[in-house]
Amino acid sequence: MQQVAFNTHISGRFNTELENLRNSVLTMGGEVEQQLVDTLKAIQLNHPGLAEKVIVNDLKINSMEMQIDKECLRIIAKRHPTASDLRLVMTISKVITDIERMGDEIERIARLVTKQKLPSSASVKSSMLLIGERVADMMRGTFDAFARQDEKAALEVYEQDTRIDSEYKKLLTFIASEMEKNTESMQDWLEILWALRSLERVGDRCKNICEYVISLASGEDARHTSLENLMQKLDNLS
Amino acid sequence: MLTLFEREHLDVNNLAEADTAIRVEQLSLRFGSKPVLENISMSIPKHQITALIGQSGCGKSTLISSFNRLNDLHQHCHYSGKVIINGRDINSRKENVAQLRTQVGMVFQRPNPFPMSIFDNVSYGLRLQGINTRRQLDEAVEQALHDAALWNEVKDRLFEPANVLSGGQQQRLVIARALALQPEILLLDEPTSALDPLTTLFIEELMAGLKKRCSIVIVTHNMQQAARVSDYTAFLHQGRLIEYSDSDTLFTTPRKKQTEDYITGRYG
Repeated sequence: MQQVAFNTHISGRFNTELENLRNSVLTMGGEVEQQLVDTLKAIQLNHPGLAEKVIVNDLKINSMEMQIDKECLRIIAKRHPTASDLRLVMTISKVITDIERMGDEIERIARLVTKQKLPSSASVKSSMLLIGERVADMMRGTFDAFARQDEKAALEVYEQDTRIDSEYKKLLTFIASEMEKNTESMQDWLEILWALRSLERVGDRCKNICEYVISLASGEDARHTSLENLMQKLDNLS
Repeated sequence: MLTLFEREHLDVNNLAEADTAIRVEQLSLRFGSKPVLENISMSIPKHQITALIGQSGCGKSTLISSFNRLNDLHQHCHYSGKVIINGRDINSRKENVAQLRTQVGMVFQRPNPFPMSIFDNVSYGLRLQGINTRRQLDEAVEQALHDAALWNEVKDRLFEPANVLSGGQQQRLVIARALALQPEILLLDEPTSALDPLTTLFIEELMAGLKKRCSIVIVTHNMQQAARVSDYTAFLHQGRLIEYSDSDTLFTTPRKKQTEDYITGRYG
């Protein structure tokens, strides 16, 4: 499948526009990645100031989504992209929605710190941070696969979500047993559960973006497909 | 807030004098008793590409031809209103039309090289202006052919007849001929309608480079071309200017329903 090459159009302006569009997604992705790193640090250090910064910064990510969306619309209207160019613009249009939602989920996690609702249990906190680190790795891998339009790298990142889901479920079971023992602080536990759910959802959003990258690079629609089927499809292509 | 895409548009409805290449004031024009343009007022920005779009017979070619008094060639052409270039109303009787046409070059739908060599085609206008020194002509021809992105293809056969060139090369030759006179404004009346899609893209890319040197006005039937190449677009209908704005706005969120219907192919 033909990948998007940014320097091969007769129109130099179109080359620049597509490259800027791709780079803008990476800039937006970099911002969200930093938001997650800051949030995990805020949780680790119990630092409400840093968490507050994350909450305020989410406005920047919202603005980026609107700007990129507008640029996609402009490029479609003015350049009438086709084939790999069209797939790139449509992919970006979908990717930025997922990135923006990641930003919202991270903001929700940061509120755990500003509301001073961090888990009192050290093991819950460290498990939460461990899942957070795995999600951050997954996010880095996702944007890297997007930048290189590398379906194999996207597939590797895609697989990581299974591990995150399994660790999330283990932690949920542990928290459920803790909640049974200590019913008085139910409200606090619920806040923690929502934050954990958001962390897990960031992983799911990364998975969505990996699906788009696979579609962009291979032309195969990777949505609503099991991992095994997806690997089979990609093997058939290569 | 971080700005990801730098893009500034001039407000063409309130364009400053310094940014204006052509100012049209209440221009009406008729051929005999048939009105073609009705009360057109618009300002065309300097060093930008402005596209005129609209159905056949809407007056786009007549409007562009009024920027270098080409309509004077029609016996029954009557007009009122002003077309101001460099502070002068070019419709004035005192206007030196020959000089105006060196300032405002024009390229037509079909390439029309003169039946002479490539070199003579490009140097023709310069000779008419009294430039006959070989060195001056050589330099001007080479520069014009470079500017029209044709030099590398013809540098070894400058004295061959121009009609041996392909359609796309002939059209670039005609653009070079106009550029040799260093016009401030270049008018392009459907310059690529007789060319294949790839050559069309080459000419469009050429235009994007040329706007640094002159202001460009292009008439095109091809809306996709207008969207691709232009910075500003004016939509005309039955001799009236319906909408005029930056192309990004006009092709994504047109303000008038008539424009929306035309660019989306709903026009009845």
